[in-house]
Amino acid sequence: MLEIRGLTKRYGAVTALDDATFTAHRGRLVGFLGPNGAGKTTAMRCVFGLAAPDAGDVRWDGTVVDARARLQFGYMPEQRGLYPRMRVADQLSYFGQHHGLSGREARARGMAWLERFGLTDRARSKLEDLSHGNQQRVQLATALVHDPELLVLDEPFSGLDPIGIATMAEVLRERARAGVGVVFSSHQLDLVEEVCEDVVIISRGHVVAEGGIDELKARSGRRHLDVEVMGTGGGWLDGQNHLTVLERDGDRVRLLVDDTVALDALLAAARAAGEVRRFSYEPPKLSELFMEAVTAEQPIRREGAA
Amino acid sequence: MSNVSRPRAIRLVAQREVMERGRSKGYVLSLAFTVVLMLVGFILPAMLVNQQSTLHLALVGATPEGLEASLVATSGSLGVALDLSSVPDRAAAETAVRAGDLDAALIVPVDLSSAGQLIVLEDAGGALQAVVNQAVIGLRAGPAASEAPVVNALKPPTAESTTAIIFANAGIILMFIGIFSYGSWVLTGVVEEKQSRVVEVVLSTVRPRDLLMGKVLGIGLLALAQLVVLVAVGIGFATATGRVVLPPTTLGAVVQLLTWFILGFALYSTAMGFLGSLASRTEEASTASMPVTLTATTAYILSIVVVTQDPSGLLAHIMTFFPPAAPMVVPLRVALDAIEPWEIVVSIGLMLAAIWALFVVGARVYSGAVLQTGSRMRLRDAWRARS
Repeated sequence: MLEIRGLTKRYGAVTALDDATFTAHRGRLVGFLGPNGAGKTTAMRCVFGLAAPDAGDVRWDGTVVDARARLQFGYMPEQRGLYPRMRVADQLSYFGQHHGLSGREARARGMAWLERFGLTDRARSKLEDLSHGNQQRVQLATALVHDPELLVLDEPFSGLDPIGIATMAEVLRERARAGVGVVFSSHQLDLVEEVCEDVVIISRGHVVAEGGIDELKARSGRRHLDVEVMGTGGGWLDGQNHLTVLERDGDRVRLLVDDTVALDALLAAARAAGEVRRFSYEPPKLSELFMEAVTAEQPIRREGAA
Repeated sequence: MSNVSRPRAIRLVAQREVMERGRSKGYVLSLAFTVVLMLVGFILPAMLVNQQSTLHLALVGATPEGLEASLVATSGSLGVALDLSSVPDRAAAETAVRAGDLDAALIVPVDLSSAGQLIVLEDAGGALQAVVNQAVIGLRAGPAASEAPVVNALKPPTAESTTAIIFANAGIILMFIGIFSYGSWVLTGVVEEKQSRVVEVVLSTVRPRDLLMGKVLGIGLLALAQLVVLVAVGIGFATATGRVVLPPTTLGAVVQLLTWFILGFALYSTAMGFLGSLASRTEEASTASMPVTLTATTAYILSIVVVTQDPSGLLAHIMTFFPPAAPMVVPLRVALDAIEPWEIVVSIGLMLAAIWALFVVGARVYSGAVLQTGSRMRLRDAWRARS
């Protein structure tokens, strides 16, 4: 279990992390979400000792993380980086050994991951000769080669094609099933919704939402309604209070409704306007929860005003 | 899973540098190129000079039977042109040698009771000694046969003209070139790691100081290997051909050279490594390392110009205890025999302290700077940004 407790990190006048607290459990895929500059990368760097927090600490299985504990962690930084002119297999072996594997063991495990990613024939190639997608696979293999107990991946899906995304998701799920803690950041919220069990949403250095995706959806006071009334173009909504139109597509509208609104009254109004093709209650999408959590924290603030 | 000890991390980093760079074309080519350069620049001229000139050698007074024939045969087999004459006595021989009419005169007792004497002006050239020694030794069969004629110089060489100086000067040039070509590998290596962002992955398990140390160590080993190959090829070539005679101080000079090369490299490449971390692109690397380059160049020029002229002067003493200058000044003063042993010991001690201090300070700047992206950092910001 990874516990981030009261983590604060300032760079001069900029506060990157402001008392951030969250927990990531073993065996669960955790999506680490937040707008650009919210502090995701800084938090990850604190886990790996690449940034020293001004306050707070990072614990793994109840103990404050030190250099020794980090050997059991695997890291994939946002800005990818390996040695461009080093051979792929040598690269994996090198990083495996830095995590405590013997030379032979590191080489064998590296080769096993290359086989898994279908890169066996590229083992002796220089990294720079590989395609972008394959370089990304090698980067993931580097984070996995020592069989870590915790995986922390910064934007692992960015820049991948659909096949790459499927492989990446499969590997992460498999690691989680093996009892590994998996935390990754992403801006692809639909993907996170599909892949993850838990999310942590961070905004301006502070954690604004945390927990199981289903649980967060259920907890949200807002309801989403998809309503389609033939031939109205959504005009029947005029005069209705306590609701927000999220999307308008011909006769179909997507509404955000306060839980004070009586649904049967709303349905009656729709029926009065025309033929109701659809009237469905839906839980909020993760992207909506995200917007809600992030905007609640910083109401109507212009970009760059911080 | 076992813990990775810090020495192991340093070793892994060093090993990677040796493996990746050692088998690169650049290293192999530069090794081959410097060997060729040295043969062309130092060894061949020495050989050609000795080979082209005819040796004028006179035998003094009565000589043992067969000496003349033996000299002619030996010079023939060694490919040395020999002009043999005779003079009546030692006084005449010395006059002719002083006048430059003779390169040398050889006095050997008729009964071969000793190996005799070789009279020369300043010192006996390699070819001359080779011919004379081989001929006399060949003639004097018996237990004392390996004894060579005693060289008797009429005008003993002054300090400036000894081979030791030439060796020391050549050594300092080699050292300067070596420190800079390999120091710049440390510099560009650090910048490339920063630019390719691999450093973030590496530093998630390796401490910045250990990464810097491993890098300096690995590249230093490659540099040392090149220097050892150069010295070995040079000495091997010289002794194998028998044409360049090494001074008896050669071993000491080589040990001094290697010691100071190691110390100088450690000092300068550490400085270059941590200053390199301030650059964000390889193009900025040379700007970032400018202070180091200037210091080294100044120290180099001062040691060549000032210390060679006045090896016991005030400046020579000051520079002995100034770590950036010591690697060039101390071997020079040793070659000129103008240094006390305690000065060497203190200088080495100061050097080690300076290297350690540079690692501590350098690692802090390095860890502050190496994870920052964007424009080039200032030293003060990097020091403060330490994470």
